Order: sequence, then structure tokens, then C-alpha cells
Amino acid sequence: MKIKHKAILSNAFNLALIVLIGFLAFQNLDLVLTKLRFVEIADDLNASFLEMRLSEKNFYLYRDDKALLAIKEKIADTNKSIASEKADIVRAVGEKNLDELELRLKAYSDAVDNARAGGRSDWRIEERLRAQGKLLKEFSEEITALERARANDIILESKRILLYMLCSVFLLAIAVSHFASHRILGSLRKIERAAKAISSGKFSKIDGVTSKDELGSVVKAFNTMSEELREREEEIIQAKKLASIGTLTAGVAHELTNPLNNISMIAQTYEELYDSLSREQRLEFMGKVDGETERIKTVVKNLLDFSKPKEADLLEADVNAVINKTLTLVQNMLDISNIDTRLHLGDVLPHVYVDAHQIEQVLVNLIVNAIQAMDSGGRLDITTRRCEDCGFVEIEVRDNGKGIPPEYLPHVFDPFFSTKGVDGTGLGLSVSYGIIKNHKGNIRVDSKAGEGSAFTIELPVYKGGDKG
Amino acid sequence: MDKFRVMVIDDEKIVGDMAKLSLEQEGYEVETFLNGAPALKRLEDVRFDVVVTDLKMKGIDGMEVLRTVKSLYPDTKVIMITAFANLDAAIEALRNEVHDFFPKPVKIKELKASIARAIKK
Repeated sequence: MKIKHKAILSNAFNLALIVLIGFLAFQNLDLVLTKLRFVEIADDLNASFLEMRLSEKNFYLYRDDKALLAIKEKIADTNKSIASEKADIVRAVGEKNLDELELRLKAYSDAVDNARAGGRSDWRIEERLRAQGKLLKEFSEEITALERARANDIILESKRILLYMLCSVFLLAIAVSHFASHRILGSLRKIERAAKAISSGKFSKIDGVTSKDELGSVVKAFNTMSEELREREEEIIQAKKLASIGTLTAGVAHELTNPLNNISMIAQTYEELYDSLSREQRLEFMGKVDGETERIKTVVKNLLDFSKPKEADLLEADVNAVINKTLTLVQNMLDISNIDTRLHLGDVLPHVYVDAHQIEQVLVNLIVNAIQAMDSGGRLDITTRRCEDCGFVEIEVRDNGKGIPPEYLPHVFDPFFSTKGVDGTGLGLSVSYGIIKNHKGNIRVDSKAGEGSAFTIELPVYKGGDKG
Repeated sequence: MDKFRVMVIDDEKIVGDMAKLSLEQEGYEVETFLNGAPALKRLEDVRFDVVVTDLKMKGIDGMEVLRTVKSLYPDTKVIMITAFANLDAAIEALRNEVHDFFPKPVKIKELKASIARAIKK
């Protein structure tokens, strides 16, 4: 269901509740009005009955036949008004009570008739008239009191129902809003987190959002994009690696040609001077050939190590050894670019827990960047030291090249950020950052435009056992 | 008669060692150096007939050796060898009157022939 539909539905639900409350309140009011109407009628009846009893009293006091006639008139009036209000009275007190009332009125009327016929002397007829009048008055007062009480009850109940309904609507509205916002905001928060992760180079997927609304579509599109970026990143990293290998090839060719030339020259000299060479000299020649093939093997191995796919294989390692091995890869580039390289390798450094190939890759990146920052040659200082308090070994790669402008500094580790135009993929430092973070280490940069840059890598000290 | 003097400069020790063994066989007097600075210092005192130098070396490189030798002794022939053959370097070397230019791996027979031609000129 779309968010729009959800909003419409929840609003419609709240509206329906409000209409329901209004309807119930209206109905209760109607009932209360009816009851009040009857209380009014009952009051009229009571007043009539009171007058009848007063006339009755006059009859006893003055033995006046006019008094009985007045009662009869009142009874006739009352019957008339009962007949005209019958529908309302039935609705208020019920058929049974009305029948009873009419019966008692009839009995009273008969008693009045008897009194008139029987004259003043018969005390039993008098007695009966008195009794019937009393009964009629009592019954009338009884149902009037009852109806009054019922009207009060209905008002109280209406009040209570209204209160309950208001509370329910209030709670329901809160619940519906909370549910909707929780679902929508929850999904949005997940998307926000994933977007942040992507901007820091982690192409994570968003899990747990399965709704079929707009957010569901956004999440689906987002996951597809994330997946594609991840695939694309791997392709680009591979391309970058191939490009690095291309850059390295010139240096590597030089590294390979020298030992090959040495072997070739030994072989030619050996052949030429074979007869005049002593046994010791021949053995020395062969030993040198063996030494040169070892050199070639090392160069080829370094090249293979560098181009190996990225898989962290953490082992105990000596940082200085890793740096020296890296330098064999880039030494020629440094020489060609007229870079004065100085090593300040700390002695008695603790070992670190790293994938040496990946750290070499990071160092090659940093050194190649440094070379590119020093167009017309310069000085490269590589320093290793122990950070006593933090449990890290630090590697600092410092150049005196053109430096990084302050506005670019916060972005140098962002994927696809490059100051090299078409020459850079913007991935070198981002990949380096990822590798160092995978090692639970840190990498930071300190740079001043025109004065040079210093990249510092912190690698965790090896603590023994399988995990560093 | 005095022997012809040949200087070999290469930061690969084996190149100097092998060239020395082989060229001495031909009757040359051979001195070897691992980099440019001591070689040029030696050249200030003694003239060599032929200087064989590597192009890419730390500090003073082969191109600087060529220029210095040519300014000190215009008649001395310079043969350049390099593991990093590149056209720009070759052209610059020719402009500085290099006698010959060999990419590594070097054929010793060709090097000898080139030295022989250098001396005859």
C-alpha cells in the first residue's frame, strides 16, 4: 500500500471515529430530551392529581358536591392530555405503566362517581375514594421519580460514553500516527544510514524494509544501486591495480634487465675464457649466476604479490621489512623522478598484525602520490616509530611536494575524489583507507599547500595468538 | 707501446667485473667504477681512450659522465649502455656525440667491436 493511501486510510479512520461519537452523543441527547419531556408531562399530571386531592379534601370538609364535580372535570382533562401525549408517555414509561395509570385513574373516577351517588353518609364510600386518590397520587409520583432518576442516569451515561470515546479516539489517533511515522521514519533512517555507509565506501544493503509502498521501492532501488556500485568498485579497483602495474612495469623491466644482463655477461665471459678460467673462478661464476636468478625471482614475486586479489591474510610482520620490500618495487620510479628518499626506521619496533601485501599496496599508493606531488623531484622521508600510549606502530610518508589545499583535505579518502584530473581514478587513497581500516588501524593526512604532505598510518601491535 | 685505456662505469658490479676480464683478454687496460663521482674524479687525473658507462645510476648519471668526458677529452669515445632503453635518452646521447648506445643485455662481442672501432677512428 502506498504512503498516500496509508495517510488517507488513517485520516478516514479517525474521521469515522469522530462521526460515530457525534452520532452516539446525538442519540443520547434525543433520549434525554424525551425523558425530560415526560418528566414535564408527569409534573403536569402530578399537579392535576394534587388539585384532585385538594378538591377531595374540600368535599370531606364542606360536603360540597361541586368539589366532586371539579374532580371529575380534572379527571376528564387528564384523560384528554394523556390521550394527546400518549405516544410520548408510552415511549418514556412503557405501555404497562400507562395501562396501570389509566386503570388507577378509572378506579378513582369510579370512586368519585360512587361518592356522588352514595351521598355524604356512607363512610365506606368515602374511605374508598380517599384510598383510590392516594394510590393514584402515589403511583404517579413513583413513576415520575423513576423517570427523573432515569433521565439523570442517561445524562451521566452519555457523559461517560463521550469521555470514553474521546479518550479512545485520542489514543487511537496517537497509535495510528506513531505506527505510521515509526514505519516511515524507521525506513528513512535505514536509508540514511546506508547512504552514509556508501559515502564512506561501504556498499551495504538495507535489510528489513519489505513494505510495498514508496519507501519499499526506494529501498529496492537503493539496494540495486548499492550492488551495482559494489560491482563497479571492484571493477575499478581491478582497473586501478592494472594501471598501477603498468606504471610499475617500467621499473620492473629495469629491475629484471639488470640481473638478466649480468647473467648474460657471465655466460659470455665464461664461454670466451673457459680454458683460462680456474676451477674456483668457474664455481664463482656459477654462484653469481645463481645469485642473479634469485634477484629475478624476488622481483617477479613482488610483482605477483602486488597484483594478487584483495584478501586480508593477517600475519605477524615487521613494519620495517614491509617498507624495505615496498621500496624494491618503487625504487626505480623514485630514481627516475629524482626523489631523494630517506628512511628513518625505528629500531626495536614491536611486530604488527597485518596482511603485508595489502600494506605494500597502501605504501605504493602513498609513495606514487608523493612522487606525483613532487613534479621536479624532491625529498621523501619514510619514518617508523612506536606510539607508546596507543598500542600502534606508526608509518609516516612525508614529501615536500605541492601539498593539498585545505578545502580538499577532508575529502582525500573519499571514493572517486581526485586532484589529478584524468590521471587519477580517485580510488588509490580510498582503497588504502579501506585496507587500513580493515586492519583496525588508522590513516590520516597532514598537509600544507606549497610545503608538502605527510600521511601517517597506524597499525595495531601484534599481541600474540591468532588475533592481533 | 702503451695499452689502450678503457673505463667501465656501472652500478652493477658484475658488469664491471665481466667487462674487465673480457677486455683485459684483448689487451686493454681496464678500470671499473660503481658510480659516476669517483669515475669523474679519476678522469681528472688520467685520460682514458674509451669510457663505457651505464645510463641510469644514482647521483651522477651516464648522461652527465658523457658531457663531462666530452668537455675534458673531446677525443675520448663514450659508449653508453642502458637497461631502460628510451628514444629521448638515445637522441640526447647522440647530440652529445656518444660513440655507441647498447641496450642491456649487452653482447660482449659487439661491445668489443665497438671499442675496436672507437680506437681506430
